[in-house]
Amino acid sequence: MKPWKYFVAVWMTVVITAGFLIRIPEIAILEQTARNLFLHVPMWFTMMVAFAMAFYYSIRYLNDEHLDWDIKAETATAVGLLFGLCGLFTGALWARFTWGTWWTFSEPRMNLSALAMLIFVAYFILRSAFNDREKRAKISAIYNIFGVTTIPFLLYIIPRQLPSLHPGAEGNPAFSDMTAPELRIIFYPAVIGFIGLAIWIMDIVKRYKQLQLKTSGSI
Amino acid sequence: MRLNFIQESTSSTVDTLTQSYSGKWEGTESIEQSSAFIQLMASNDLIFVVLGVSLIIWFVLLFYLIKVDRNVSKLEESFKEKENEA
Repeated sequence: MKPWKYFVAVWMTVVITAGFLIRIPEIAILEQTARNLFLHVPMWFTMMVAFAMAFYYSIRYLNDEHLDWDIKAETATAVGLLFGLCGLFTGALWARFTWGTWWTFSEPRMNLSALAMLIFVAYFILRSAFNDREKRAKISAIYNIFGVTTIPFLLYIIPRQLPSLHPGAEGNPAFSDMTAPELRIIFYPAVIGFIGLAIWIMDIVKRYKQLQLKTSGSI
Repeated sequence: MRLNFIQESTSSTVDTLTQSYSGKWEGTESIEQSSAFIQLMASNDLIFVVLGVSLIIWFVLLFYLIKVDRNVSKLEESFKEKENEA
């Protein structure tokens, strides 16, 4: 195992511990759930990074058509989707106790992020429709480039134009007056830690898939 | 709610057993008798208990992640050896 993985393990342990232990200011409505900032928001940041990686790998695949790029793109998309779903579920739980409902159709960010997840679920359905590896790789790369392009619009541009309870609505950045500056001390390390964890998981899944390709191909 | 009495006394060790059954439940100790670790865990509205639970989950997942990583590495190595032989 490479040393950076141990570093990620220790880093995340420190972040989780510190996230519970730091004193946070009293924020109305949020109260102790303000600590969710260290968990819920990094899910989306990590998802963005994973999808950006998938976007890059998909373009690389179309460039030279090495199946390795396809494996990397699929893995990055899977891990991105995983983190996105975590973001969705944690958001619903958080909303129940701060907005009073698990789900509301009047909340644009909630619904558009669910829509974004559906786009990537469709990616895997599309992949499963092809038996021919090359064909599957090419078409899913094209689909993925389209899919990732929709993400900034669905998650950032449109929700910011609409009235919403979610921080970051109506042109404001997500860090607003209700977000205390102390929270950032843990928030940014948490983002880095979760991205490191995602890359670690991607590494394992990618190597597994490469082995799978070898076993079904040559032996 | 039945849980209320637990909420009220979070600053000390909750003797739920004695409250549920009649008489002093043997083996339960008061907050003064309990170890420094237990006293710490029972402080601050029990937030340390949540931290403990989170860390247990994190360490178990981490252990599994490391294990799978190593297994994949082993497989990769055995593949390399096979390829070298062939």
